[in-house]
Amino acid sequence: MRLALSALFVAAVFLMVTFITNTHDEELHPFLYDYMTERFEEDTAARNAVAAILLNYRMYDTMFEALILLAAIIGMNQFLPVPSELQSLRQRDAQDLDQGGDRT
Amino acid sequence: MTGPESSIIRVVVGLLYPFILLLGFYVIINGHYTPGGGFQGGSILASLFIARYVVFPVEDIDSEILHLAQRFVLSLLLLGPVVLLFTGGVHAHPDYRAAYLTLMDILIGVQVGFGLGVAVLRFAFFKGVGESWRF
Repeated sequence: MRLALSALFVAAVFLMVTFITNTHDEELHPFLYDYMTERFEEDTAARNAVAAILLNYRMYDTMFEALILLAAIIGMNQFLPVPSELQSLRQRDAQDLDQGGDRT
Repeated sequence: MTGPESSIIRVVVGLLYPFILLLGFYVIINGHYTPGGGFQGGSILASLFIARYVVFPVEDIDSEILHLAQRFVLSLLLLGPVVLLFTGGVHAHPDYRAAYLTLMDILIGVQVGFGLGVAVLRFAFFKGVGESWRF
């Protein structure tokens, strides 16, 4: 039930977002695009517009992007055994194999 | 768990180590001149750990220490822009703008290299016990 409800919720959000973006029609002036592509070299001394945006104009974006990797590793620490546990798990496996090979 | 070792692959990958390091740091340090940058170069550096594990499947790299180094570099990476960029310090001293970009690229690259290395090594070490392990 909870799974069905959450699936329904996700589907509803997806439909709502696609509905809004498809029905909403707005032409924005590419002000920032023009500014960044014209001025990035004198602003940031980078010769590569991508680096200028990633490391200067949008630095906070890069900072949180770097945090994503940390979040992934924290998740792995939660759900995988730590290396010290792996050692004892291996020993247990070896014992199981000695006692007839039933690994369940 | 390990197949027969091929001395050809071992020698060739051993020869490739310095070139992988060189390419990784080239991509990182030239990040603000050419396509590339911290994330891409860091992935190349992480391929060093992967290549090493593929050739020598021994678990002598402590992923905890690697993770500690990654967290340290990440804290520097989060502190750097707060101190240098958001206070306006970089724009007040225009000569150091390229140095700031290079520093950030190096920090991101090392951080991503260590982080991906930790991730890959953790899953690789897990491989042997994955069948019998439960929560």
